[in-house]
Amino acid sequence: MSDLPPPAEPDDADLLAGEYVLGTLDAAAMASVRGRAATDPALADAIAVWERRLAPLADAVPPVLPPPGLWRRLEQAIAVPPVPANDPAKPSLWRSVRLWQGTTAAALALAAAFAAVALLPGQPAPMRFAALGTPGAAATVAPGYMAKAMPDGTLVVAAVAPAPVPAGREMELWILPPGADRPASLGMLPAAGRSITVASMPATGTHLMISLEPPGGSPTGAPSGPVVYAGVLVTV
Amino acid sequence: MERPHPGPRRPDAASVVDLAGLLQRVAGGDRAAFRRLYEAQAARLYGVALRITRQPALAADAVHDAFLQVWHHAARFDIARGNAQTWLLTLVRYRALDIVRRRAREAPEQTMPEPIDEAPDPLAQLAGSRDAAALHRCLERLQADRRRLVALAFVEGLSHSEAAERVGMPLGTVKSTIRRSLQSLRTCLESGA
Repeated sequence: MSDLPPPAEPDDADLLAGEYVLGTLDAAAMASVRGRAATDPALADAIAVWERRLAPLADAVPPVLPPPGLWRRLEQAIAVPPVPANDPAKPSLWRSVRLWQGTTAAALALAAAFAAVALLPGQPAPMRFAALGTPGAAATVAPGYMAKAMPDGTLVVAAVAPAPVPAGREMELWILPPGADRPASLGMLPAAGRSITVASMPATGTHLMISLEPPGGSPTGAPSGPVVYAGVLVTV
Repeated sequence: MERPHPGPRRPDAASVVDLAGLLQRVAGGDRAAFRRLYEAQAARLYGVALRITRQPALAADAVHDAFLQVWHHAARFDIARGNAQTWLLTLVRYRALDIVRRRAREAPEQTMPEPIDEAPDPLAQLAGSRDAAALHRCLERLQADRRRLVALAFVEGLSHSEAAERVGMPLGTVKSTIRRSLQSLRTCLESGA
């Protein structure tokens, strides 16, 4: 059973945001709302409004002292200093992003090449493509995955030449629209790839990344393991 | 533990300014500010996480992960747009909800432990901020059983089906009741009536 909603009217979208904040959605529906909010500013705003509206309900919960070991755990976790504050908008997490931004040109060329193959006559609808390659790899290395975004919001991620996933790890797919400062999870990615529906067709320039995570996904809500494949959607 | 206490005078203003200032310093990598933020908020947030996860180890994980997010992404917090206390609350709640939903999916046969105590009466315990006063007024207009359902869902982090089981109502009824309650709350809060 799932709470996955049908495509909805604005009012339904706002109530879905309310249910998301209230916390009554199941895991699949929560992930779906998160993915949609990443590309749908109206939904993201609706969520923020509900967060403010409902937050006072937590005032009714009595505070409880956390176990003393918790601070020590945190202290150890932050022992590696964050990236210096010269780029405050994009803190530490994006070291990996910068690393693979260097491969953008190669990725563009690859995406165009794949698009040329994929665009058959009689298929006029504009689509966007991304080659998700290994960060830092030479342009001659085949990408691990190809992504295809269609006007109806379908995003297909297909395996091309992926490396085996290390034991005990799973791949998680992330989307970072242009101008966004945090990626949103689009859920786990089976080795063979999968098809996802997002609220609307992701814009040109949207980054897609695949990271290695513990089973079940990143514990932090952002990529916590290495980004193994990344690419940028281009319109062809 | 210098938890911002909702006292009789200007309950929120001081703590909000302070938290936002701490967040700014954390964004610059200030560990002392991070520690002060933890000391100021950990008990409140751990309490929230414990109600949702009902297990100390899981609640500690949720608070741990949320504070790590704060450490790495404090710069994302927008003072002009958001309330720092609300931002911290949402980080912890989503982490706690993710943890319990994931466990429910992986081990659905595992029954949830007993609730720690009864759902708090939301009307009795809302603190004195302006947002809280508005919510209080609008909750009062809901029928008592709807009010309880909304508070129970939020505080205990119950899914639709868990809430249905808890209150002994059919799943469909719970879903539609929650939707109608959210609609009523929205109408009431928007009208400011």
